[in-house]
Amino acid sequence: MAPPLSLPTTARLPSSLRVNSSNPSIIKVLNRLSRPSLLSLVLDWLEPSNQSLCPPFIRENLSDDEDEDEFDNDLYPPVSTLAELRELYVDMQTRKGSRREVVDRILEGDWREGLTLYQLAMADLQYLYDHPGTLKWACYKIQRLKTPGHEDDVEADRNYDTVDRLAMHVPRFHPSTFLQNLQAEVLPDVKAHYNFDRPKGLPLLLLRIFVLDSPYNTDLAVSAASGSTSSVARTVTSFDASRTIYVAFPDASPHIFVSKSQSAGPTTHAETRSLRALVVEGIPKALSRPRERYSLKTTDLQTKNLDAMLSLRGSGRSNAAAGGWSVYAGDKAADARTHSPLNSLLPTPPLSDDAAGEDDEETASFRNGEPNNLKRNFDSEVAEDEKRRKRARLSAQARFGDNAKMDDGKGIERVDILIEDPFPVTGIDFETDNDGQDVGELNASRPRKPKGRRSNMDSSLLEDAEGDEDEDSELHRQDHDRDRDTSDNLPRAIGRRAREGDRDREKWAWRPNVRLSLHGPHVFAGIRQLVEAGFIDGERMPGWMTGEDGVTRGAVKNGRIKGFKGSGL
Amino acid sequence: MDSSRTSMSPELSVADRLHDEIAKLRARVESLKNDVKLQTATLMTANSTRELLQSQAPSNQPSTTSAAVKQKLLARFQEQSAHKQQCLYRACATITTFKVKDPDPNAVDGGNVLGLRFEIMVKGKFIRPYYVMLNRPYVNRRHLRVHRHTVPQCIPLSGLTARYLPVPAAKDDDIPKEQDLSRFARALRRELVRYHNRAAVIGDMKKAAGLGSKKALDQEPDTEIVDISAADAEAKQISLQWRDGRSGRLVMNDDGEVVKMVVQGNNGQDRDTVRQVLGGAVRVEEVTKRLESR
Repeated sequence: MAPPLSLPTTARLPSSLRVNSSNPSIIKVLNRLSRPSLLSLVLDWLEPSNQSLCPPFIRENLSDDEDEDEFDNDLYPPVSTLAELRELYVDMQTRKGSRREVVDRILEGDWREGLTLYQLAMADLQYLYDHPGTLKWACYKIQRLKTPGHEDDVEADRNYDTVDRLAMHVPRFHPSTFLQNLQAEVLPDVKAHYNFDRPKGLPLLLLRIFVLDSPYNTDLAVSAASGSTSSVARTVTSFDASRTIYVAFPDASPHIFVSKSQSAGPTTHAETRSLRALVVEGIPKALSRPRERYSLKTTDLQTKNLDAMLSLRGSGRSNAAAGGWSVYAGDKAADARTHSPLNSLLPTPPLSDDAAGEDDEETASFRNGEPNNLKRNFDSEVAEDEKRRKRARLSAQARFGDNAKMDDGKGIERVDILIEDPFPVTGIDFETDNDGQDVGELNASRPRKPKGRRSNMDSSLLEDAEGDEDEDSELHRQDHDRDRDTSDNLPRAIGRRAREGDRDREKWAWRPNVRLSLHGPHVFAGIRQLVEAGFIDGERMPGWMTGEDGVTRGAVKNGRIKGFKGSGL
Repeated sequence: MDSSRTSMSPELSVADRLHDEIAKLRARVESLKNDVKLQTATLMTANSTRELLQSQAPSNQPSTTSAAVKQKLLARFQEQSAHKQQCLYRACATITTFKVKDPDPNAVDGGNVLGLRFEIMVKGKFIRPYYVMLNRPYVNRRHLRVHRHTVPQCIPLSGLTARYLPVPAAKDDDIPKEQDLSRFARALRRELVRYHNRAAVIGDMKKAAGLGSKKALDQEPDTEIVDISAADAEAKQISLQWRDGRSGRLVMNDDGEVVKMVVQGNNGQDRDTVRQVLGGAVRVEEVTKRLESR
C-alpha cells in the first residue's frame, strides 16, 4: 500500500494513514476503552460514510477457491460485506463477553492491516468522552492586537504588539482555514495529524492534534519495520499519549482551552511542554489574518472540568456573574417571565421576607409535629440551632446564589491563592496604625475593620483545616505557610508571630508568604457546604472564596483577587 | 411487600388516583393563588382603588375597615404603584439603573454597586434583561469600572468600556480620560439590539427558506436550501447550504446591510446563484423577501 517514494514534506499527516496493528500503542489505546464503548466505536467505523477513512479487511468478492483456503485456518475469517460485519458487531453488543475478545477481533481480524490515524483519533476521543476528567484544561483569551497604521509605526516599534483595547470585534474562527494556517506554523520535521470533533452536549469544537517526529507524511512516519532498531524505539515513544494535544474552541466565545499534558511520564515532560508551547504559539498566528492580528493571553483558569470552564468562559451570561451574582444571569423562560417589565406582580427577591416566610412556616409546622415530651429548654436550644442553621443557609444562598452546588457538575478541583495582605495584628495600637497605612490603597470612607475580621476568618480556616480529616473529607486544605505548619503547637506559633511583629514594628505590616491551595472534587461547593454548616461565617467570607472571580489561581490583596478578574474584561 | 402490593392492586390504583387528584388540586391551588396575586396587583394599581383608599380617609367608617388595615393597604398600594412606574420605565426607556450592595465584605467603595439594566425584545417578548454592574475601585476618583455583567461574549463589551469608561490613569494620550456613562449605556444597548436583530434576521431567513419549524426537520425537507445558520459569534455571517452541494456565505455589517456574498459551487465560484439570491438587495431583509417569494 505504501507509495514507492517517501519525500520529506511539510504537509500534514493524512487521516487515512495506517498504523501497523502490532504497534503496542494501538493495543494500549484500544485496551483503555470499555467493551460497550469499543463496540459503538467499531460500529461508527463501519458507517458507510467512514469507509474511506477506516476500511475493514473484507474478503474480495472473487469467488476463488484458493482464497477460501487462505483464510480457512484463520481465527477471524474475514467477511465479505460491510453489512455482515456490522451485524457481527451488533451481535457482540447484545452478547456478554470480554473486552479482549473485541480488541483481538479488531487487531487480528477486521483491521489486520492496521488502524488509520483517524481511527486512533476516534478511539482516543472516545476515551476522553468516557473519562471527562482525565485532561486538565488551561484557558486562554484571544485578544486583538493593534494594526499598525503605517509602516513607520512598525519600524518605530510604537504600536507593535500592543493589545487593541478599542477593538469592537469578536474574533471569528473558521476551522479549515485555521488548520491550514496552523500547519504552516508547525516545523517541517514534525508531522501532525488533526482531527475535529464536536462532543455531544458541549457547545464547543474539539481539535485533537497528534504529533509525530518525522519529516515524512507517508507510511514511513508510522511504520516500525522500515528502519533499524533505533527507529523502532523511536516509533514506540512517538506514539506516547503525551504527544497528543487537545484544543477546544467554545462556541461564540473569544477563548481557547488547551489541554495540559496528560499522564506524561517524567522523561517526556519537557518534550510535551515544548510541544505544547509550540502549539500555543502557533494558535494566535493561525487565527490571525493580514491586518488582523491576535494574541493569546493566559487567564489563570485551569480545571479538569469542561462544564465549569464553559460556564466561566463560554458564550452564556454567567461568565462575569459567578457566585452570588448568578441571580442576574439566569435566562430560562421562567426567569424571563418573572423579570419581564410587563410582569405586574410585585417582585419577591430570593432572600426577601416573603421568600423566607414560607420557610418559617415549614419549620414551624415541623416543630409542632415533633413529639412534645422534650424539655422546654432543650426545645429552645433546638429552635436556636434551627435559627442559626437557617441563617447560615440563607447567607450561603446570598453569597453563592444557585452556583457551587455539589451536584451541578461544575466542580473545579483545585484553587491556588496567594495572600499578599499584611498579617492581621490584633493589638489596637497596631490596628489604627495599619489603617493609616492602608488609606492609600483603600477608600478611607469605608467603615470596616479588616484586621479583626481577617483574624477571625483565619482562625476559622485553621479550625477547618484541623477538623478537616474527620469533618469534611472532600475539601482538603493544605497550608504551605511555614507558620501554619506549626499550628498544632499554637502558643509557639503565636510567640513567633509576636517576635516577627516586633521586628517589623517600623513597617507595621508583616506580610508572610501565605499560599492557600484548596483541593477537592468541587472546591467552591465544599466552601458552600462549610458556610451552610456554620464553619465559615458567610457574611465575613471574602469574595474570592465564592469563586466569583472566575480564576483558579490568583493573588489576594486587600481581600480581593488582584486585577479585577471577576469582570471578565 | 411486593406480593401484598400485587394483591392490593385495586386499592393501590385508588391510592394512585387520589395522589393524582391531590397533585392536580395542588397545581390548581397554585394557579389560583397566582390568579389572586395578579388580580390583587391589578386592583391595587387601579385608579378607583386609589380614590377609594384616599377618599375614605376623611369619612371614618370604623366598623368596616380599621385604620391599621387601611394603612397596610395604602402602603401596599404605594409599593405596587412604585413597581408599576418602574415597570413602565423599564419597558419604555429600556435602560434603567438600580443600586446593589456587593456581598463581599472586602468590596471596594463600601460595596456600593450601580446596576444597569438593559431590556431587549426578541420575537415580541422581553427576554431576561442584561445587567452591567459598575463600581468605583479607584481611590479618590469617581471613575467607574465594570464589576460584573451578564452581557454575552459576542458583544464587544471590552471595546465599549475602553471607549466610554476608560481607566483614569491611562498612559496613552489619545484615549479620552473622561468617562461617559450615558454614552456607554447607549452604545451597549445599541450593540445588544443589533446583535439580537441580526440573529432574528437569520431566523427569518430560515423560515423564508422553509427550514424554520421543527416539523420540517422531521420530514426530509424538499427545499432547495438545506441549511441556513449563523457562522460566527456576532451573527454577522450567514452560511447557506444548497441541496446540490453548493455552499455560500453572506456577510452583513452591524446594521444588517449586505456587505458581500460568495457561493462556492462544484466548479468554482457560482456568481449566478449570488445574483439570484441577492438581486440587488441592499439589506438582508430584502434577501429574505426574495427567498420567500420563490
